[in-house]
Amino acid sequence: MLGWFDANLVSILNGFAIGALLFVLAVGLSIVFGMMDVLNLAHGAFFLVGSYLAVSFVAGDSWGGFLTALGVAAVVGLLAGAVLSGMTEPLARRPILDQALLTLGISLVVAEVLSIVYGNDVRSVSPPPGLDGSVDVAGSAYPTYRLMLIGVGLVLALVVWLVVERTSVGALVRASVADREMVSAMGIDNRKVKVAVLGIGSMLATVAGVLAAPVYGARPGLDETILLLALVVVVIGGLGSIRGALIGALVIGQVESLGRALLPDLASFILFGTLALVLIVRPRGLFAGKVAHS
Amino acid sequence: MLHHLSGRRLLGGLGAGVLTLAMTACGGGSLGGEEEGGGAGGGEGGGTVRVGLVIPQAGVYTPLGEDMQQGWDLWLEQNGGEMGGFTVETVTADEGEGPDTGVPAVQRLLTEGDVDAMVGIVNSATALGVAEQVTEAQVPLIVANAGAEAITKDAASPYVWRSSFTNAQIAAAMGEHLAAEGIGPVYVMAPDYAAGQEVVAGFTAAYTAGGGTIAGQALTPFGTTQDFQPFLSGIQGSGAAATFVFYAGGEAVSFVQQYADFGLKDTTPLYGSGFLTEGSVLDAQGAAAVGVRTTLHYSTEIDNAANTEFVQAYQEAYGELPTTYAVQAYDAANVLARALEEAGGTGGEALSEALGGLGEIDDSPRGPWSFTNQTPEQAVYLREVADENGTLVNSVVEDLGVFPQP
Repeated sequence: MLGWFDANLVSILNGFAIGALLFVLAVGLSIVFGMMDVLNLAHGAFFLVGSYLAVSFVAGDSWGGFLTALGVAAVVGLLAGAVLSGMTEPLARRPILDQALLTLGISLVVAEVLSIVYGNDVRSVSPPPGLDGSVDVAGSAYPTYRLMLIGVGLVLALVVWLVVERTSVGALVRASVADREMVSAMGIDNRKVKVAVLGIGSMLATVAGVLAAPVYGARPGLDETILLLALVVVVIGGLGSIRGALIGALVIGQVESLGRALLPDLASFILFGTLALVLIVRPRGLFAGKVAHS
Repeated sequence: MLHHLSGRRLLGGLGAGVLTLAMTACGGGSLGGEEEGGGAGGGEGGGTVRVGLVIPQAGVYTPLGEDMQQGWDLWLEQNGGEMGGFTVETVTADEGEGPDTGVPAVQRLLTEGDVDAMVGIVNSATALGVAEQVTEAQVPLIVANAGAEAITKDAASPYVWRSSFTNAQIAAAMGEHLAAEGIGPVYVMAPDYAAGQEVVAGFTAAYTAGGGTIAGQALTPFGTTQDFQPFLSGIQGSGAAATFVFYAGGEAVSFVQQYADFGLKDTTPLYGSGFLTEGSVLDAQGAAAVGVRTTLHYSTEIDNAANTEFVQAYQEAYGELPTTYAVQAYDAANVLARALEEAGGTGGEALSEALGGLGEIDDSPRGPWSFTNQTPEQAVYLREVADENGTLVNSVVEDLGVFPQP
């Protein structure tokens, strides 16, 4: 048992790193869809915007570049979310598919613009100085940057959870999910709440893009791959649940890392196999948001 | 209101999202009528030849398409826009990523484009998918990239020629070389699709035939593998003395960087099929790629007069080093011109016959090559990534000799 653990320690650790990254990526999608009822298929494209910003500010050369990329990405994400909120408002009472088509269209436009601006070549980004080396884990080298991702993911999870569950802003958000008319009647403009939630959700996507750039790089098509992963995490975790997004991301992180290391022949099926299994056992995901289904 | 929605409807929404996402893969592809030279009639009495250039202009293979276009354009420019006395009209069509866009593009060229010959095609499935149509239409097609064995083997057609390579040809050269070096057990990895499987099979056959042993193999999910760590730990546990892989594009960048990040580069030397370090991916890989050894039928560093001249002209025209994709299109133009001259007309049957009788092509940047089974029998080079004053290049270590399609 101990020998098995030793042999797979790097894979388990890597599962946590990928899981942390997936959490930052998916939690935005989850709160936007679970709380504001907007299925944002442009989430992957926003992520790719973040990755390309990391390329622009040569995030690998200095901490200045890396932090600038993070800051600019956060602002761009907030603005993009606000714009998206305005654009989806007229469709608020239409079926979800209409919104999905709108956001899908936005994602195609964004991806095309990125390809015009940055070209079609694959770009890579080094980790910032100090994190670009490797540390020794059980006799194998493990990239330092990925270790840092685990910490960043956990801190962000705690912050988002505290904001939604323990602050008055979070209470307002939860209230407008539960009963929009009642919140309006109390004199609060629930469109503002929607702008805020979409802004923060989209910001999490662009920030995740910057954080992921040293691992995944930036290239055309990455947006779709990433969106699919985020959707899987959200479906497994349950919509609108911070805890669900965290658990879903960690499960998928381990499936993609430890699962593939143990069962390399099943690598193609293991992700969607897990998804199917969860849907059979818990059709609403492991932790469906309690506000959304009260 | 969300709380009125059942879980089923929500998931239905998600399902629709995934579905629409999948649908975006099927983008359009149109005939971009980029005409060169004058209209019909030509001028000097030679007439015109209409050539369809089928290259990816959208999707993941776009950089390859750009290189092929540049190789094609450069040849035409150097030869006054004429092939064997005929004025060339190029009709460009977008191949897209796969047969779903590539096959209709070729179909449109045949029906509406009124082409006499076609050049291009990156994707093997597309090349195999159009073989029947071009045979029926009797329009010669010179495949300028797709490397599947079947194109000039099981699915061979007298009208389908190839100016590039075959997957196993490149891999077998490395297999023979490593077996002769006696490097020890080798771990083999490739993406899990037709080309990856052919490379693995080609390498394994040649390496074991030379007395080598395979330490293990992994076929990674194609297009959905961003993180190679789970497979890299498989290499570490296998006792391999070296690793041989085939990756291209984004996967090549991720693989080479992660191979260095996880410390394997220092313990287990990395070998590969040349596409691992070819073209723009090499710049993205950066220092992680230095020292990686690959086999390919071309390198900018090949020392012959034709190549020196070609590399210089290409750099002057486009401000970057040429790639094997550019050379394949450049050579396709060369053989098509020779065939047109030989045949003296644009009839498909005569052109195909002329292509078969060309013999050795002696002025190619890749060195001399000839058609055997309608695909190049050519020298394969052992290359090593080297940093030359800040520019990464595939320096030529050794000419491994001439290899036919296995």
